[in-house]
Amino acid sequence: MNQKMRLLIGLLVILLLAAGILAVEGLRGGFAPGTPAGATVTLEPGSVPIYFNDGLLGGLVPRNLERLEQVSFEDAAEGKPQDGWLLRDVLGLYLDADQLSPQTRIIVSSASRNKSAQLTWQEVNDRENMVMFDLSNRGTLKLVSLLEKLDMRDEWVQDIDRIEVRNP
Amino acid sequence: MKERYFSTFQLILLTFFAALVVIAKIALRLPLQLSGHSGLFWMAIVIIGARVVPKRGAASLIGLTSGLLATFLGLGDFGAVNTLLSYSALGVFTDLSLLLLGNPEHLLAAGVAGAIGHLGKFLVKWAIGVLTGAPVGFVSLGLATALVSYIIFGALGGVLGGLTLVALRKAGYFAYLAEKK
Repeated sequence: MNQKMRLLIGLLVILLLAAGILAVEGLRGGFAPGTPAGATVTLEPGSVPIYFNDGLLGGLVPRNLERLEQVSFEDAAEGKPQDGWLLRDVLGLYLDADQLSPQTRIIVSSASRNKSAQLTWQEVNDRENMVMFDLSNRGTLKLVSLLEKLDMRDEWVQDIDRIEVRNP
Repeated sequence: MKERYFSTFQLILLTFFAALVVIAKIALRLPLQLSGHSGLFWMAIVIIGARVVPKRGAASLIGLTSGLLATFLGLGDFGAVNTLLSYSALGVFTDLSLLLLGNPEHLLAAGVAGAIGHLGKFLVKWAIGVLTGAPVGFVSLGLATALVSYIIFGALGGVLGGLTLVALRKAGYFAYLAEKK
């Protein structure tokens, strides 16, 4: 077998592996766990599901974020800039403000980190609190804020994979 | 006495490359905000190691050893098993690809081997996510983007490794190594 043929086989292996992963992930996304029966929303592979009162609203994908204004602040813990998108703006893509009350609970969680943060809409909606998603170096989202309960690295929620909004 | 597959000198070299992988992972931080960007230096080191010790299993041993080191140092964000398996898979896939592609001093072969090796790491992380139901860090950019990013950075790392190998050969490093065996 000559080198050209070996390279072609190598490229074919890459394509087959990639196609296999995307195909399986596509099937998983179409039957995402937690999707209520009868719901018409389907999750795209790799999206972060957003639930409103236990119903699936949709999945957060990068192109949604591109539409939002970017903000930044310097974190108190390490003095590093945190750049990203406000959680209130993200939620605004899926919900109207009149669907939320100041006491509405917003739970942002990461199953892989076994971490979550619970906030109220009042806290999230206050721009001064800078409750926002920062893009980590690995391309995942982390929840950071100027709020006292979310201003240290240990309190941040990295690798976010679920957002829940619950009205009282 | 039965001759060992890897000589002591080769094992020392492979351990050195494994340690280099872990050090690079800790010390080199590229602010690219893309999944898999560490493949740029990671695959370069593994490809170089696999050529410097030109025996089947060399890359796998680098992967396994670096996985063990990384696990004990608490590297990786998704637990010890994920770290150990993904580091090892990178080595195994690189070995398998080099079995097909041959000498990584051929830059295209090095690039493809780098891409396959790095894709092996992605595959394991993704498979663990599928099996356990836990997302494994590709969420915000989307899986397809992360996948492409892994392939591209793996390929670039492979080419970087290939270029380094060419430079090492020109510098007479392989002739030096031949004397040491």
